[in-house]
Amino acid sequence: MDEWKPNPAVKSHKKRSWYLAWKYKLMNQRALRKLCQTGAVLFLLVTVIVNIKLILDTRRAAYEEEEESAQDYDDEMLNVEVPRHPVNNKKVLDVEVYSSRSKVYVAVDGTTVLEDEAREQGRGIHVIVLNQATGHVMAKRVFDTYSPHEDEAMVLFLNMVARGRILIFTIKDEGSFHLKDTAKNLLKSLGSQVAPFLSWRDMWTFVGKKGGEVYGEKHAKSPALSTWGDPVLLKTEVHLTSVEDAECHWPDTELNRRRKRFCSKVEGYGSVCSCKDPTPIEFNPDPLKDNKVFDVPVAVIAGNRPNYLYRMLRSLLSAQGVNPQMITVFIDGYYEEPMDVVELFGLSGIQHTPISIKNARVSQHYKASLTATFNLFPDAKFAVVLEEDLDISVDFFSFLSQSIHLLEEDESLYCISAWNDQGYEHTAEDPSLLYRVETMPGLGWVLRKNLYKDELEPKWPTPEKLWDWDMWMRMPEQRKGRECIIPDISRSYHFGIVGLNMNGYFHEAYFKKHKFNTVPNVQLKNVESLRKDAYETEIHRLLGEAEVLDHSKNPCEDSFVPDTEGKVYVMFIRMEQEADFTTWTQLAKCLHIWDLDVRGNHKGLWRLFRKKNHFLVVGVPASPYSSKKPSSVTPIYMEPPAKEEGAVAVPAVAAAEQT
Amino acid sequence: MQKINRNVVLALLSLTSLVFLLFQVCYYKFYVSQKNGAAFSKGRGSQSGQDSTRWHVVRKFLGLISSHNIPVYLIDPLILGLVDKDIEQIRSSPDGPSPECKYFCAPRDFTTFALLDKTWKHEVGLFRTAEKMGFQWLKIINKDPRLDGMDDLSGMEIPLHYILKLASHAIHLVVFYERSGNYLWHGPLRLKQHMDRKFVPFRKLHFGRYPGAYEKPELLRVSIDDLKVQIPKNPSSFLEEMSHSRFLECRYREARAFFQLYPDDASFDAVEFRKKAKSLLHLAALTLNNLGVKFWLSSGTCLGWYRQCNVIPHSKDVDLGIFIRDYKAEIIPAFQKVGLPLKHKFGKVEDSLELSFQGEDDVKLDIFFFYEEDDHVWNGGTQAKSGKKFKYLFPKFTLCWTEFVELKVHVPCETLQYVEANYGPDWKVPVKAWDWKSSPSNVQNNGVWPVDEWDDVIQIY
Repeated sequence: MDEWKPNPAVKSHKKRSWYLAWKYKLMNQRALRKLCQTGAVLFLLVTVIVNIKLILDTRRAAYEEEEESAQDYDDEMLNVEVPRHPVNNKKVLDVEVYSSRSKVYVAVDGTTVLEDEAREQGRGIHVIVLNQATGHVMAKRVFDTYSPHEDEAMVLFLNMVARGRILIFTIKDEGSFHLKDTAKNLLKSLGSQVAPFLSWRDMWTFVGKKGGEVYGEKHAKSPALSTWGDPVLLKTEVHLTSVEDAECHWPDTELNRRRKRFCSKVEGYGSVCSCKDPTPIEFNPDPLKDNKVFDVPVAVIAGNRPNYLYRMLRSLLSAQGVNPQMITVFIDGYYEEPMDVVELFGLSGIQHTPISIKNARVSQHYKASLTATFNLFPDAKFAVVLEEDLDISVDFFSFLSQSIHLLEEDESLYCISAWNDQGYEHTAEDPSLLYRVETMPGLGWVLRKNLYKDELEPKWPTPEKLWDWDMWMRMPEQRKGRECIIPDISRSYHFGIVGLNMNGYFHEAYFKKHKFNTVPNVQLKNVESLRKDAYETEIHRLLGEAEVLDHSKNPCEDSFVPDTEGKVYVMFIRMEQEADFTTWTQLAKCLHIWDLDVRGNHKGLWRLFRKKNHFLVVGVPASPYSSKKPSSVTPIYMEPPAKEEGAVAVPAVAAAEQT
Repeated sequence: MQKINRNVVLALLSLTSLVFLLFQVCYYKFYVSQKNGAAFSKGRGSQSGQDSTRWHVVRKFLGLISSHNIPVYLIDPLILGLVDKDIEQIRSSPDGPSPECKYFCAPRDFTTFALLDKTWKHEVGLFRTAEKMGFQWLKIINKDPRLDGMDDLSGMEIPLHYILKLASHAIHLVVFYERSGNYLWHGPLRLKQHMDRKFVPFRKLHFGRYPGAYEKPELLRVSIDDLKVQIPKNPSSFLEEMSHSRFLECRYREARAFFQLYPDDASFDAVEFRKKAKSLLHLAALTLNNLGVKFWLSSGTCLGWYRQCNVIPHSKDVDLGIFIRDYKAEIIPAFQKVGLPLKHKFGKVEDSLELSFQGEDDVKLDIFFFYEEDDHVWNGGTQAKSGKKFKYLFPKFTLCWTEFVELKVHVPCETLQYVEANYGPDWKVPVKAWDWKSSPSNVQNNGVWPVDEWDDVIQIY
């Protein structure tokens, strides 16, 4: 604009004389002049319009460009802003901790992060871990140190917490009865003055930084054995540090980004968040050659036991032939921590709003998970179903890859399961051996899609029926005489000791001594002989070669089976009809195997190992294999114990199986 | 003097505006050329800058995805339309060099590619590389429809569309998901609140206005304009499929509400009927699809889909609709061949045709033929014993895809009007006693068949 503005003044003067000359010439041609004027006005209008349009166009183009760059700018600003905020504001948290007989609570900056006043639960020491930079709750645990061994768990947990985290302790009801010196010393090393002297029914609260300062401690002594100490309320302030100080400086990779996100949110996973030497979260196990289950979806059924889930996923992702893309974790409830674990491993997770209660809730969660699995993988013919409290054997997928074609081809099969109910340390021997059994073990199994879609899904127990899904699946209406294939040595290990139907005692009695395969690449030996008819031939061959044991001896005694190795023995027990398991149950009891209900049978035959010998048990006369009994042998009968015990024990724990 | 002044002013103004106009034109030209200048780089011979920009952006994009081993295929309707004209030549020389930029230089704002979800997972690396190459990108995520039908499951949101922009051209990457019923699905493109609405002219996109359903395409690797791409083996049938690809999700939320009001029947009979109805529908769909006859869910089956996303257990048959223009004489023998004998045939092709086939255990497959008029469509009914004719009127409708009992099938897009025409405003209330002659709200008497025609128009087997 500057260019032409001064010019018109000069130009117009010249133009003026030119115009005057012209005017004289055409003085009388008024009409023409009028025309010229109109023309000029029209021209003016057109140029104005064109000009405006041009201006708009140019401006828009410029504006677009500007916006693009402005956006880039915004993004950068955002990135800078996030860390700056906490760095500059050294914030202070107000922490309130309450300890009493019937209620505990913890409030951070006015927000209640723990409140437990439920009756008859939550006894012991509650521990909360806060992030020292953000003040977020990273872990919440309760250790019932009134009971044995819980203090060991607490020590384990506290040792896993990273230095610098803020720890909050409070006791509900009683927390000292089984609090041993190791635990007390650890608490003392954290800065507690009272911990070494904590005694029966004392109330106690403590806030401190791991490996650092103490923010406050309060204690109320119980005056007498029969009463509790007075409630204590501790109010204190905690100074937050900067994010940089609270984080580790791992190399910036995709994996470490996931790790960072995880470690800034939760605590209690040990070396995964170690700054110096973090444990890997990607495992890259060897791929399987000719893997037939690479495209089979894996559904992991989970609840709110994130530490279990963490252990489970580690073992699953370390198994040879695993395909992480096919894994979906289904979490029953909107729990954050299990989801954090799922994201740490880069897997996909789905949360499920709980429906119904107790066993029915589990059952509804199973249904939703299975349906979702087949929706998400419409091509799949099978799904592998796992639970969050299982260790997965290194050859789990190899085992399935070798056997899955049977499930497709043999209509008489119900499932393939990685779990042998009777496979204990002293009763399982051969990793390459498979069985057919009439019971469905669960605990790591393969489900055929058409079985689920055509039979199970349409009549799955509704939420108001408080049934166990697995008990329901074992019912004859569902199973319809079909069998499952199981390995002699289980390919999964049930480690969960807390759960709906599970407790420490029960776990120790029935699950702890279970055998678990740790040998990679086991070549299964009798896969084809597991087809319906071939299996009968195989059993007849086995029985033909088996040596009949001395039936005058007590089968519970160790000497019942000779001290040999690699032989096949058979014994006959009394079994009047198909459902008569009186003697079997007694035998199972004294052999210390699963005796809560009948498992692992195939047409009145059980197969297990004793002293490294294959040991067959045939129920006479119900079993079709009874014909193999020499006429001289009288089947063994074992008396059930006094009525009261048997009557109570069986129904009470029949449901207690998978959690 | 006054007049002179006016003239002078006018002339002056004209001159000024002329100069200003010239200046503006110059500035604009300069500005635009500068903006596009960067994208010119190695211009392809006679092509103008804009054209070669498109080609370069596509080439860069293809380089990007092949470096990450991601199999995409071209679904751009504009380019496929051009390709289709020369398809024979392209097929016969899949690797031949091309003399000119014929396809990828065609004027357009976008180039659209498809990506199968299950063939990739590692997006982080891809987009980091894309950024390094100068692409700006936008990701559109939304709920996973495969979990929509499920009671209260909340999964992670899934990516539905990606848009990568470089210079003046953009790549639209549509993510296709496999769904139950052996078909591919892509989601609608919906911008969330915080998103940049001016990132690209979204309205001009060819995919994303509605969700769509497609068959799994057979792909062909070709070289066009010296770029190696995968395209659908038969572009014209893909384009035809695209024009009718709109997909309707079942109304799962409403279905749940319905089941809360009227709990589902889980009795043995109901389960069995559903199973049979499902397999009958699968068989019918297979048969009709093989014949190339377009059909949709009608009457009770359509109501079941719309109201409860399932087969109504107390209905006793499966109902399908077919436009009479799609009628083929082979329909009856084809059904007989797959084990569904003709049960009855009412009417004739010219008027009120209705076929009924006998499925397994009393489950019947009814096929109603629809006749199109100027402002409505209708199908006919016939009472066997009296020869009475009935007419069921429906407002005009178009067909959409949906998923029903693990099957990709058509339903009227305007389902509500269709269902309301058939069942009245109270369609939400289950009715067990249904009389096809009087219960429908759209039934009209339509006279009586002449007695001498009865043998032809009332055939019962």
